[in-house]
This record gives sequence, C-alpha cells and structure tokens, in this order.
Amino acid sequence: MTAETATKELGAARLAGADARRGGAGRDALIEFAGVSLAFAGKTVLDKIDLSIAKGEIVCIVGPSGCGKTTALRLASGLLAPSAGAIAFNGAPLQGPRRDVAIVFQDYGKALLPWRTAAGNVSLALEAAGTPRKARPQRIGALLAKVGLPNHADKYPSQMSGGMQQRLQIARCLAQEPIALMMDEPFGALDAMTRQELQDELLDIAAASGATIFFVTHDLEEAIYLGDRVIGLLPHPGRVGIELKIDLPRPRDQVATREAAQFLRLRRELYDFIKSAER
Amino acid sequence: MRSLRDRLLGVVVLALLVALWQIVANLKLVSPVYLPGPDRAFTALVHGLAASDLGAKLMGTIEHMIEGWLLASIAGIALGALIGASSQARAFIAPTLEFLRPLPASAIIPVAIAVFGLSPAMALGVIAFGAIWPMLLATIHGFAAVEPRLYEVAAALRLSRPAVIFKIALPSALPDILAGLRLGLTVALILAVVCEMIAGLNGLGNWVLLSARMFRSADLFAGVILLGAVGFVGALALNIAERRLLAWRAP
Ligand SMILES: Nc1ncnc2c1ncn2[C@@H]1O[C@H](COP(=O)(O)OP(=O)(O)OP(=O)(O)O)[C@@H](O)[C@H]1O
Ligand SMILES: [Mg+2]
Repeated sequence: MTAETATKELGAARLAGADARRGGAGRDALIEFAGVSLAFAGKTVLDKIDLSIAKGEIVCIVGPSGCGKTTALRLASGLLAPSAGAIAFNGAPLQGPRRDVAIVFQDYGKALLPWRTAAGNVSLALEAAGTPRKARPQRIGALLAKVGLPNHADKYPSQMSGGMQQRLQIARCLAQEPIALMMDEPFGALDAMTRQELQDELLDIAAASGATIFFVTHDLEEAIYLGDRVIGLLPHPGRVGIELKIDLPRPRDQVATREAAQFLRLRRELYDFIKSAER
Repeated sequence: MRSLRDRLLGVVVLALLVALWQIVANLKLVSPVYLPGPDRAFTALVHGLAASDLGAKLMGTIEHMIEGWLLASIAGIALGALIGASSQARAFIAPTLEFLRPLPASAIIPVAIAVFGLSPAMALGVIAFGAIWPMLLATIHGFAAVEPRLYEVAAALRLSRPAVIFKIALPSALPDILAGLRLGLTVALILAVVCEMIAGLNGLGNWVLLSARMFRSADLFAGVILLGAVGFVGALALNIAERRLLAWRAP
C-alpha cells in the first residue's frame, strides 16, 4: 500500500545517504558541550561533560538509570540551561529551544494533543512555524505518508496504537524540518517488532534528510544498531565513561548487522561497561 | 451514550410518578387547595400559555438565567485562565476563593439590593456572582492540570503565549470548563427564580410566588413544571454540546 511505497522510496534514499554519512567525525560540529555541568538543588547531576556531535551524525547515549541521560538531552535541546560550562549550537551559544531542533519524547501519549486528530497534531508544528493555512493540508498529507500513517489523518491519538502514536509524534517533529532530532528512549515502550520497524524508518529518515540525531536509549543493541557513535555515561555524578565509534556498514540490516562479528564485539564491550558502571 | 433501555426506563419512572401524583390528588390525601392533580396543573399550564402571560414569564426567566450565566461564564473562564495559568497566582488567590466560595449567593442579595435597588441589574449581579464559582474553580483546576509535557512541546515548537493558551491550555481544560458551565447553569436558574421572587421581576419566580399567595395551586404547579422543563432543556443542550466538543475522548 501507500505506506509500503513510501518506505521503499525512503529505502532508495537510504542507500544514497549512506555514503554521505560515512564522513563521520571529520565534519563540522553541530552541538558542542564544553565543560557542561548541571546541578539540581545543589546536587550535581552532570559533571564537566565535553561532547561534540558532528552535523549528520547519529550519537546514542546509554548508561544506568538516573545517570543523567535525559538531563543531557534536555540540555542539548535548550530546555535546560547548564549550571556551568557552555553549549554551542552551530557555532553560536544555545539560547533555548529552537524550531529546527525537534524533540521526540518517550511518553508519546502525553506529548500529543488528545483533542486533535493526527492531521491536527502535525498541523500544530506548522502553525507554530507560521506555515500559511492553505499550504498545510498538502504538507500534512506528505508527512503522515512519510511515517506510514497516510490513512489515519482523521484518527484521534486515543484511536491509535502506541507505535502509531510514536510515528505521529515523529511526523510532527519532521514538520519542524529539523536539522537535529533529540530522541529520549523514543521506542522504549514499544514491542520488539514495532521497535525494529521504527528503528529502520528512523535510519531512512536520517539518511534522506541528513539530520543529526541525539538518541538516548536503555537498549545497548539499539544504540549500536543506530549509532555512528555510542557514548556511555557513568552515574553519580553523570560523566562520560566510554565512547565507541561504530563502523558497521550502512544501510544497516536487522539480521545481518546484528550478526556481524563487530556488532557482537561492541555489544560485549558496552555490556561490560554498563555492568561495571552499575556497580 | 445511554442505551435505549435506560431511556425507556427513565420515561416509565416519570410516568409512574405522574400516575402516583394523580392518585394522591384524586384520593384527596392532600387538600386540593394545596395539591392539584396533574390534570388540573396541565390544564392551567395550557391556559396560562394561551390566555395569560405565563409565556412572557417563561421568557423572562430564561432571559435572566442566560444573561447571568453568560456573564458568569465569560468572567469565570477569563479569570480562571488568568489565575490557573500561573502557579504563583494560584497560591496567592486560593485562600480568598476558599473563603468566598462557600458563601451562599443568597447572602449577597441584601448587598446587591442596597447597591442596585430592586432592579434587573441587581438580579444580573446576584446570578452572575452565584454562578461564577463553578466556572472559576473548574477553569482554574483545568488550567492547573494541563499535562506538563504539553508545555514542553509548546516550548520546543516555540509557540507564542496566546497560542499556548488557546491551543494547549484551553482545550485541555475544556472538560473541566464544560462541567463548570453545567453546574453554573443550574445555579443561574435557581438564583433567577429567587431574584424574581424578591424583586418582583417579570418571570416564573414571580408567577409562582403570586399564585401561591392567591392559593391558585394549579397555576403554581404549572409554573413549577415549566421551571423543571427549563432546567431539563438547558442541561440537555449542554450535554449535546459536550458530546460534540469532547468527541475526541476515548469511549
Ligand atoms: N527536575 C529535577 N529536579 C531534581 N532532580 C532531578 C530533576 N530531573 C532529574 N533529576 C535527577 O537527576 C538525575 C538524572 O536524571 P535523568 O532523568 O537525567 O536520568 P536518566 O539517565 O535519564 O534516567 P533514566 O534512565 O531512568 O531515564 C537523577 O538522579 C534525577 O533524580
Ligand atoms: Mg531518562
């Protein structure tokens, strides 16, 4: 159906985008943390983080619960300001949330407007950006098709499955035409099949748009599967404990990539890191 | 939505009550001077609407009720939004509201009479004062209970302040506001009748009071039936509006 054709088209784009992505760390930095610390009520949550994310890079953040992954993402999105240190975006200090940085929240059920249909929810981002009313329907249709929801424009979130709701949230984020996507465990609440589908669709979107992705997850395999780089945080206070460059070829494949010797080696390394971090 | 069976049962219960009323009246368990049967009340109702000014009284009451209710709704929702949107304002103003709220609206009638005299303005003031509470408190609650994540979404999209209020907070508070509107309408009807009785304003309250004084019990009951009908139709209209406005809620 339409959803499948959309995915196929993206598949082609994914092949084309794969080479562009391989440049990796050599490119300009989009987001730079320089000695960033954050304290909540005197308690240090993140301690002197240095981090540079290149344009078009997919960086995955893992770490034990409570180590500050969400906080790091909120800092990078401008929802929080650091207590010390500086965050630069595209070379200039980050002042606050930006329209070209989209945030995909884990709790999609709470991040959608329940009183608006799927089309209405996507429309919110277009309204915020000042897209003329007449131009909206066509763009909404295209965005919903892109995330595989072309026939659900008139459904309310309460009438959609969890996977569909998260797709809808991603559509709204894409309506911002973001150059960066901030994702906080976006697929954590989904079943394994849906999760893998969405992982591949995300990689397709990233390849087609060249967007930079900051991806927080609990799932070590997910981090390796998606990322150009995986960063592991240590808790109390949160700091960078490990940094793994992922050279697995793109486009990635749910079966072949996960069977590759390098994938298994990286998984082992990350697993050992998390085990020691939790201790 | 209620099932057909429930509706039928509701009609049956109503019919049984009317029948019981007729039996009690026919047996003269209560003197006919005080209690007419439904037959006499219905005849008086038809006669009052056709040959007397009962129709004008009905319109008078509806007018008082709706004017006061609209004033209360607009003021209640606007004030509620102002207070509810800021957690500081809520903390400052909540104690005052808690003091004023339990004050029965009838307690301010003497104050209103002193200020406005026995005039329609007095009635409007009293009705609006009494009916504003459900709206005000429901709106404050609705605004305070907006999912915080949605405010973050709004921040991420850089929505303007008015857009946040009209696109996020108000629709989110709508279920609470609608509940407040319904309660407010009931209060407005009650106070409209009380004011008509006290100030002799043209309306069903005035009709009922005069009928009682003249021992015209059938006319009195005709007025009471109309009052019940006004309340019923008002609630029904709001129910329909609610069902349409809240169609998005999971069944
Ligand atoms: N608003 C806040 N006020 C006070 N403390 C906070 C706040 N937000 C987070 N924290 C604390 O900061 C620490 C890091 O929280 P954060 O949510 O970033 O962790 P996380 O790595 O995302 O955890 P999880 O894997 O469970 O999502 C925790 O100890 C948490 O209690
Ligand atoms: Mg988190």
